[in-house]
Amino acid sequence: MPALMANIFRPSGRGKTRWGIALIVVLALLSLAVVLPEQTNRVLRSLRVRSISERPFRLGLDLQGGTQLVYDADISRVPSGEHKAALAGVRDVIERRVNAFGVAEPIVQTARSGDAWRVIVELAGISDIQGAINLIGETPLLEFKEESHEKPRELTAQEKKSLEEYNAKQKQLAALILKRASSGEDFASLARQYTEDPIGTKEKGGDIGFVSNEGVGGPMVAAVIASKVKPGNLVADLVEDASGYSIVKLEELRAEAKEVRARHLLVCFVDAIACSKPISKDEARKKLEELKAKATPENFETLVKENSTEPAADKSGGDLGYFKLGQMVKPFEDAAFAQKVGTISDGVESPFGFHLIHKLDERALTEYHLARVFLKKKLSTDIVPPAEPWKYTGLTGKQLKRSAVEFDQNTNEPIVSLEFNAEGAKLFEDITRRNVGKSVAIFLDRQPISIPRVNEAISGGRAVITGRFDVKEAKLLAQRLNAGALPVPIKLEARQLIGASLGKESLDRSLLAGKVGFAIIVLFMLLYYRLPGLLASLALSLYVLLLLAIFKLWPVTLTLSGIAGVILSIGMAVDANILIFERLKEELRAGRGIDSAIIEGFRRAWTSIRDSNISSLITAGILITFTSSAVRGFALTLAIGILVSMFSAITVTRTLLRFVAPWIGKHMALWGVNTKGIANRV
Amino acid sequence: MFPIISYRRLWYTLSGVAVAVSIIGILLFGLKLGIDFTGGTMMEISFGNGVPSNEKILKVISPFDLGPVTMQPLGNSSKILRFKPVEEAERGKVFQAIAIAFDPEKKGTVNLERTEAVGPVLGEELKGKTIQALVLAILAILLYITYTFRKASRPVKSWKYGVAAIVALFHDTLIPVGLFAYLGHFAGVEIDSSIVTALLTVIGFSVHDTIVVFDRIRERLQSSKEDFTTVVNQSINQTIIRSVNTSLTAFLALLSVYIFGGTSTQNFVLAMMVGIVVGTYSSIFIASPLLVSWHKWAQKQKA
Repeated sequence: MPALMANIFRPSGRGKTRWGIALIVVLALLSLAVVLPEQTNRVLRSLRVRSISERPFRLGLDLQGGTQLVYDADISRVPSGEHKAALAGVRDVIERRVNAFGVAEPIVQTARSGDAWRVIVELAGISDIQGAINLIGETPLLEFKEESHEKPRELTAQEKKSLEEYNAKQKQLAALILKRASSGEDFASLARQYTEDPIGTKEKGGDIGFVSNEGVGGPMVAAVIASKVKPGNLVADLVEDASGYSIVKLEELRAEAKEVRARHLLVCFVDAIACSKPISKDEARKKLEELKAKATPENFETLVKENSTEPAADKSGGDLGYFKLGQMVKPFEDAAFAQKVGTISDGVESPFGFHLIHKLDERALTEYHLARVFLKKKLSTDIVPPAEPWKYTGLTGKQLKRSAVEFDQNTNEPIVSLEFNAEGAKLFEDITRRNVGKSVAIFLDRQPISIPRVNEAISGGRAVITGRFDVKEAKLLAQRLNAGALPVPIKLEARQLIGASLGKESLDRSLLAGKVGFAIIVLFMLLYYRLPGLLASLALSLYVLLLLAIFKLWPVTLTLSGIAGVILSIGMAVDANILIFERLKEELRAGRGIDSAIIEGFRRAWTSIRDSNISSLITAGILITFTSSAVRGFALTLAIGILVSMFSAITVTRTLLRFVAPWIGKHMALWGVNTKGIANRV
Repeated sequence: MFPIISYRRLWYTLSGVAVAVSIIGILLFGLKLGIDFTGGTMMEISFGNGVPSNEKILKVISPFDLGPVTMQPLGNSSKILRFKPVEEAERGKVFQAIAIAFDPEKKGTVNLERTEAVGPVLGEELKGKTIQALVLAILAILLYITYTFRKASRPVKSWKYGVAAIVALFHDTLIPVGLFAYLGHFAGVEIDSSIVTALLTVIGFSVHDTIVVFDRIRERLQSSKEDFTTVVNQSINQTIIRSVNTSLTAFLALLSVYIFGGTSTQNFVLAMMVGIVVGTYSSIFIASPLLVSWHKWAQKQKA
């Protein structure tokens, strides 16, 4: 038993080789299981063992097709010269998100037609498309804007004219409708036919319910009152306001509701909403009681001006005007409506603090049930969009190089730092220079998250976003920004399945080519290198299995050229083996025994293998680090191919050779060595 | 033992001619870039009455000069056509031809859903980044070779090995690119993203190959007493079998794809085959002889 344990845990040279073989077999079987799951499952099922998942290879758009997503980019706020650049920026950011490793082989391209600025994203396969859509959807929109004092442009004379003409026509139509209604035509059907009411009262025959004399209903109610019209009748004239012309009918009056006018004194405390001078609740209560004791209807206003904590109470005197039910918080409302006119209430507690309420008046609220036919006027804002306070600067997430979470030196609050690339740094400097003393705004996902004041021009391209973040929010934001931030907002417009451009036939042919190529290489190796060639072929088979297994698991999307690349790499994987075998032959010719020949052969070949592969790995590494998308993907698969081939040659081939050596060592012919003229054996 | 070094002027001439011809081709004809680089036109056409096959559509639009056309099914009843950038008017004519061919009775079953100008798949930014990265890689390789070959510094300084390898690299890249300049001009062959991949592969392996020969030279320099020229010649002869064999296996693999793999990958495979052949040739006949020539020239300077 101890001998067995010793053999397992501290094996002899031969033992080590046996372990190596075992490992190789296990690796081969695992890779086989990954690469050919269906066949594996057949075997597993017959052995009554659990089967494994049968995920297929991820084939590229050209071979299998996938999903097409169409995103519409909103370039309306971007000046026209920069539209193309903004759209290209969207394309780059989306691709970075969708193809982080470069091996997903998507097609991401801009698409323009007429007014439409779009980005088309085509992804291979359909299995985790929702994941990709979510990924794209989470892309933040980062924009830097500066103050805009531009007034919206004036209407052109042409536009003014057409606007006036339109409105005049509407007025005429309205007058006509009024006449028809007055002469007895059914109001409701006229309304159904003509009303352009934005609130959708068309179906109800123009009925707009009960309105009071504030807000939208104001002008109509005023007209009703002025014309002293009786319920059931029309207001004799057209009611015109800024938005359109109305033909108004009074259905009925209601004077049930009450309106109350009151003045109030507020003393807020620590937990109250928006309290600017917080004192404790007890102190507040005490203060209020003191004031209540002093208060009379005559001095109430003065008391409020001097003591109320409501903002601007010193000017308004706490006068709230007339309000009706539903406008104030419940405790306040209950008290105000219940008390008698002219009285001052006891302390009332509301979420805002403690109130003393002086009820000034109460009156019936007349509500008017109206119906109307409404014709819209055309406004200048329909033609020219209203001015916005912020304008596009060209500095967006596109120029963002890096984002990180930092902690403010003074307050220790988490902040998000932004580092711009060269272009962004210059833009930022220009923006800050021309806005010294003014504000700039940082918009995230169309909301301003920070509006700092610019004290001086900032060069070096670094900015910070301060805001009320907690550490988690700050980290999340930095992460999102680092994965790529959009320059303009996008919207997913369409999503469809897209078929393969090449199809099954191409795939079949490529696979055939691969098999033939593999066979040719094996044949060549056998003929030229004999026994080592056979062993190398085994090592090569393992190489193919391992490579394919890695590609399937990562996953690397295989397009047609990708498959051709794999076939090429099979041809090149033999290289290290050939180096070793040539050395081996030299050593054997020089008269070494098989075991030491193997060791020497590997040792001397190693420097060649190492240096030649390292130079390729350096190229691959630099390409991976500094490029993106397809070029990065190529470099990645190249690097994987090189590493696996080095492994297969150095480890697998060597183990196989050493395993086989004791049995075949004497037969030089099998090693491809001509034994004539060899001196002593060592 | 082949006297490779002795004939080095022959090899230089051959290579010189090949490179010159390539450069002339590139300058004269430029490179015919495919729609992956230039962007193109995309048309989405819906077929209410059954979607016709790619071949049938291709026949209908072949009279138009659209370059290589790719077609893909979209959804259940549409096809997307992609081809080179074409004017609005021309696009209209293409659609008309399709509509007439597949809806001769004008029942309205064939509709142009949309047509757009699509941008490149490989953006400008990527091009810039790749070139930058390659320059960086070349520098890194130079440094690496200078470092690992420091023991072979006598009689030729190790950085010269690096330079020789890089010269071979440019040689290996220019010739396939030149070939495509000619193919583009005379046979309308376009360079798409897979050709770029092929060229990158060539770059990746060109130096690989050269280093194996240099490694042998380094080893022999340490043990041999003979002069530099002889050592180099011997080294080349000893490694020639290995170089040829490796390239042969890669070449055979690619040949199999070229023959059996179908037309769509042929250009890509051709680029790689040419690159491999030229790469092997340069490792044997250019890189090492360059070392000797440089050495001899340096000696002449000293004298």
